[in-house]
This record gives sequence, C-alpha cells and structure tokens, in this order.
Amino acid sequence: MKMFRKQLGSLSRISTQLQRNVIASGAASRTAEMSTNVAPALDAAALDEFRTAVANPGEHSTLQSAKFYTIPVEQKKQIFTGGGLPKQYEQQIKTFTETCLMVRSPALELLQYIKNADLSKPAVRYVLYGENGVGKTLTMAHVLHYGALNDFVLVHVPWAPNWMKRPKEASNASGQEGFIDLPFDAAAWLVHFKNQNAQLLQKLQLKTSKEYVWSKRESTPAGASLIELVEHGIARIKYASETTAALIAELKQLATNNQCKIMVAIDGFNAFFHPITRIFSDNKQRVSPDRITLTQPFLDITNYDWTNGVCILSVDKIAMTEGYMDSYMPRYLLGKEGFEHLDPFVPIHVKNYTEKEFMSYISYYLDRHWISKTPPGFEKQLKFMSNMNPYTLMQLVRGL
Amino acid sequence: MAYACCASKNILRIAQCTTRLMSVYPSHYVSPIVDKNIQNSKGLELSHIPIKAAPNDVNDTIFYGELKQKFLNYITKKGNAELAKELLTKTFEAIKRTQIERLNLGGADQEKVITDAETLLINAIENSRPLLTLSAIKRGGVKYQVPVPLTQRKSYFLAMKWILDAAREKERKVKLPDKLAWEILDAACGQGRVIKKKDDLHRQCETNRAYAHYRWS
Repeated sequence: MKMFRKQLGSLSRISTQLQRNVIASGAASRTAEMSTNVAPALDAAALDEFRTAVANPGEHSTLQSAKFYTIPVEQKKQIFTGGGLPKQYEQQIKTFTETCLMVRSPALELLQYIKNADLSKPAVRYVLYGENGVGKTLTMAHVLHYGALNDFVLVHVPWAPNWMKRPKEASNASGQEGFIDLPFDAAAWLVHFKNQNAQLLQKLQLKTSKEYVWSKRESTPAGASLIELVEHGIARIKYASETTAALIAELKQLATNNQCKIMVAIDGFNAFFHPITRIFSDNKQRVSPDRITLTQPFLDITNYDWTNGVCILSVDKIAMTEGYMDSYMPRYLLGKEGFEHLDPFVPIHVKNYTEKEFMSYISYYLDRHWISKTPPGFEKQLKFMSNMNPYTLMQLVRGL
Repeated sequence: MAYACCASKNILRIAQCTTRLMSVYPSHYVSPIVDKNIQNSKGLELSHIPIKAAPNDVNDTIFYGELKQKFLNYITKKGNAELAKELLTKTFEAIKRTQIERLNLGGADQEKVITDAETLLINAIENSRPLLTLSAIKRGGVKYQVPVPLTQRKSYFLAMKWILDAAREKERKVKLPDKLAWEILDAACGQGRVIKKKDDLHRQCETNRAYAHYRWS
C-alpha cells in the first residue's frame, strides 16, 4: 500500500512538472486504481493539483511545497488532542472532515535541519518567529508530526502563555519558599505528555534513575518506569509540578545517556521571560514567571547542556501583554535574559504565503466548498485584502 | 411586481412637484455607478454629467451584496456597524458550517444543498416577504382592520425585521449569530417562525377581505 502511494506521489509529481492537463492524468490514474482495485478516498483526492499523497513529513521536500498532506485520524488524535492546533483550525478540520496541513518552506527548512543534525552534539535550539497569524504554530505542528513518526519523545507545550495568563489554580509551592505552583495546569500537561508518548514509552522502557520522595508515605522508587511517574503526577495533582520537574530532569538524563531522543516544542516560549503575569501571590503581588515552579523544568530542558535532542521554540507577539507587542523579533520578545538563555539558536522566519501557496490555499477552500463566490478576479481581491497573511485570509473567507 | 409599479408612481409624483427638494443634490445629478464594468462602458457617456458623491458603504467587491448591506444596517445598533459586520460574518460562517456538514453527511439531495450563505439569506428574505398587511382605518366611528397591499420596499423591510426579531428572541446564553443562522436556514427552506408569521398575517388579511373596500370608500 505504501509503495503504491509512493508511486502515485511520484506520478503526480511528474505530471505537475510537465505541466500536463491534470484532469487527463487524474483520469488515467483513476483507471489504474480501478484495475488494481485499491481505491481509498485518500488516493483519489490526492490527484488534485494542490494535494500530495506523501503523508510522512519525513519524506516531504520542495516537490511537495505548497501542497496539502493529510494527517491520519489516529495520529492526529495521538498528537493533538491536548492542543497544538489553533482553535479555529480545529474547527476548520471538523468542518472539512480531514486534517490537512500545507507543506510550507519554514517547516521544510526546519525538517531538513533536524534530519541533518548530529544528535550526539548538544541540543540545537530552533526559534520560529514571525508576524501574527503567519503559521508558526502550524509549522510546529508539522514538525511535531515528524517527531511523533520518528520516535522522538515529545515534550510539547501547546501554548505556554496559558500558564501565565489564565492559570486554573495557583497555590504556594510546598517545597520551595516563595514559589507558586500551578497544580492543575501541570497535571493537564502531564496528561498531554502521556497521550503523546504512551506508546513510545511502552516501547522504550525508560526507568527513573533515583528515588523521588513526595511525602512521608508516597515515593517513586528508583527504577520505576516513566509512565508510573507520570501517572502518579496525574493522580496526585498536588505533586504534579514536582513530577513535571522530575520527569523532565529524567528525560534529559536518559537522552544524554542515549536511551531516547527528545523533541522539545514550546509554543509562545517568550512568555517564560515576560515579567507581567496574571498570577498573584498571597500579598497580592504579581508573580514573575521565574517564581513559578512550572517554568524551571522547561527552561532547564531548553538549555544546551544535554544531547540527543532538538528544541523547537516559537516566540510570539500575542504571548506578551499589552504594550509589549511592538516587534516580532526574537531579541525584542525574549528580552535580554531570554535571548542570552537561548543564544546561540537557529532563527527560522515564518512568512506570509507565497503566490503559489496562496493559490493552493484558495483552491483547497474551493474544493471544500468554503468559498462560494467566484466572480473573475476574486483571488486578486482576497490577495489584496489579506496581504497573503494566512490568518487574515481565514478571517476574510469566513463570511463568503 | 405590481407593487414596484406603485413605487414608481410615487416617485413620479415627487418629481412633478416643483417646490423645494429635500435632497442636497439638484435633480439633474445622477447616482454613482458601483459596478466597475458598467463604469468602464459608460465612462464617456457620464463624463460631462454631474454625479453624486459615492456612498461609503457600497463597494464593488466579493464582500458586498445589496441585500446583505441592507440587512447589516438593520442589525446595527447605535451605529456600531463594526459589530454588526462581525455578527453577520459569524452568522454566515455558522450557516456554511451546517450546510457543509449536511453536504458531507451525504444523502440523495447532495446537489440541492446550497453552501453559499448569501444566497440562503436572499432566499430566506424572499420567502418571508409579506404581500399584504392590516392597517386600522376608521369608518363610521369604528376602526376596521383593513388589508392593504405593501410596497416592495416595505415588504423587504418587514421580512428582514421579522427574521432579526425572531433571532433576537432567544435565551441569553445563545449567541445571536447562531440563532440568526438557524432562522435564516429555516426561512430559506420555507419553514420556521418567520414564515409562520407571514402566513398568519396573510390568513388574517384573507378573513378581513370584506373590509377591503374601506381602503378607498
């Protein structure tokens, strides 16, 4: 089956290269399908100009750029149930009844870097940056899909500012004086981690290196599996933050010992360095992120003192608060402290659609019946109105 | 179309009177043309005729529809057109989502499902336009509910007002776009509260047909 898809993929590749009539080639391969009697809906759809049948992000190259690939339902469920796709994109997925991502150049660039990276060297930090609504999160989603398929342990924070801006509950940390715990958010993150990595952890059989004592009666012995550790954190929400810290320290150590490889993906990373949060301590003082127990492990894992890992971080204007959104550049958003923490990193600029990507998206929308007004020149109007910004295009097309 | 005739008669009557006009523009000014294609073809013809200033809520893009714009104006409260626009966009989005869901569900009448929200809005308005209304006329000291034909303008107004009223009559938790989407979808396929209201009015006019002559005698 995979072979067949590959063949089809190459077939469509050739057809586009030769600028042949798509309908003719489509008809040809449809008959081929009939003869082999393998005709799933996906392959038939893959014949469209704007789609690609290559569903493995590891095989994506510039040949597939500006084309849509479909993430299978189980994989989407595994990776993105706890977040990772923007809310409106989720809605779109529901309406269009398929999870399609466009293969875009920043993701391809990033994938190429990751594929060619020497994992025995200290972890490389990649920083995605760009204007609002330009596709940073979806680029990250694309790479996450690659990571999930290639046996990376995913340490994924869907949207870090959620912890600073709307925490479920804040309580004083028991272990460290003057620190704040976010037990529910930490537990939610652990659930997310478990969802993403349950299968892989089962396979790898990772063990804790030392004993963790939570209280007089509760402890996790050395040599317990990581899943046990995670489940303890989920069951005992009070200790979720500490468990997170322990888990991440363990993972780091395991990766350095070459037992697993880790992909760290944190969206809105600059929230960890933005002093203004909506968490208040007992004496009604604003708590800065470095006084929150949950930030420590994630800052720790984005350091370069470990190997066998990649860190994909995004900096975002909307992770900041009002008055701090002047520029989308990493230096501005991270501040001095954050920049020094990440330095040196590989910056990846996510830009607006290119001409080709824009047209591809329009034809995708037309295919899904999302745009129903098509007088001559409507693409031009949309292009002008949206400035080829993905989010703006999405907003404009809503009411058409 | 008989009512259109009526309307044009009214306009004639206004044109005949030579007293002071209420308009800023003298009567020889022509209205601006919105459509770019017609503009280009009529360019020379209009080059020496004075033209009224362009209205600022009309444009020649895919986002504009005449009836849609009118409907938008009715949604607007306290001049907050921005909000009204957002609400209508959300309504259209909701309509599209339900229709595409219907399309994806499959079934026999796949071809019949309209996914264009503006077409559906227009259909809904056309379906809920009343022909007649009742107006109280005093004859011999008694007020009679007399059936009276409506002008085209008025019937469009009533249709849109009824749809909007039906949408605004909701629980507080329900958002206007969702309810409006439902009302539009209902009215577009000829059912729902608005259509019922129209039918009720027509039925009452029918029962009061005996008073119809009070309109002129």
